[in-house]
Amino acid sequence: MRGWLWVLVVAFLAGLFWWGMQRNPRELPSVLAKERRPAPDFTLPLLPPYRAEWGETFRLGDHLGKRPIVLSFWASWCYPACYEEAPVLEAAWRKHKDRVLFVGVNTQDKEPEALRFIAQFGLTFPQVFDPRGRVGVDYGMYGVPETFFIDGEGRVYARRAGAIDEATLEGYLKELRP
Amino acid sequence: MRLLLLLLSLWPPALAQEGPPPDLSPEVFRIARELRCPVCQGESAAESNSGVAVEMRRLIAEMLEEGKTAAEIKAFFVERYGEWILYEPPRRGVTLWVWVLPVVGLFLLGLGLFAYFRPRRPLPKELLEEAERRLKEPPA
Repeated sequence: MRGWLWVLVVAFLAGLFWWGMQRNPRELPSVLAKERRPAPDFTLPLLPPYRAEWGETFRLGDHLGKRPIVLSFWASWCYPACYEEAPVLEAAWRKHKDRVLFVGVNTQDKEPEALRFIAQFGLTFPQVFDPRGRVGVDYGMYGVPETFFIDGEGRVYARRAGAIDEATLEGYLKELRP
Repeated sequence: MRLLLLLLSLWPPALAQEGPPPDLSPEVFRIARELRCPVCQGESAAESNSGVAVEMRRLIAEMLEEGKTAAEIKAFFVERYGEWILYEPPRRGVTLWVWVLPVVGLFLLGLGLFAYFRPRRPLPKELLEEAERRLKEPPA
């Protein structure tokens, strides 16, 4: 009887260990995505290269509910992850720009360095400047790079932590297709 | 003497580094200590110097200035990050187990140790007498 009890305890602990090891540490909980909450609105200044086309400031609320939005939080100091995903995001934006809006949020960065990053990758989708990282807190952001997918109704659909690859990005865009 | 003067001149800045930076009140750090730093491993928002933690402290200071209570400030972060952001898991729901299990474990351990070390019940008197008698018997 006692022997069986030990087997049971060891089996339980082994099961607990196995379950823990199966969990993906990148799957960080996002309250916004889990509850499909309306995307938090913000108004931020646009970085100079985008002002001619988009104006001095960018208000997310003006675009919510019209088409899906990909919100990408990045910084020039975030190496190599942000450098890996920048060309992926730019290519996807060029491919889907007629039906999905891509917005870059430069977070906790310095403007000259952010501009150098933008020039390096030739980013053409609008980029806003948030040196304090205030908007990141509203989105429950952990750290750059982080990508939020907002559906056509203006609700947060998913969050992806870490550099995003082409297959993952295309997968989410397919799910968001209006 | 010169060395002593040098040491004395170094003393006050060394002491000043102990407390929080002068621009934020200790209350800010007290609340930040109860919140997790989102990008760190096992560090609170009070200890970390990461960008997010610095911004969290700044937000706490701003909200305190607006007259918000500590509970309201913590609720602000829970609203955005979920209860994960609280450094101490709340004592209810699933996270109640985090608090209960160690106590249950200790109780079970105590029970096991007691069972192992408890004084054995003495053998019945007649059995002892029988054993004594057989011992005295000459071997067959």
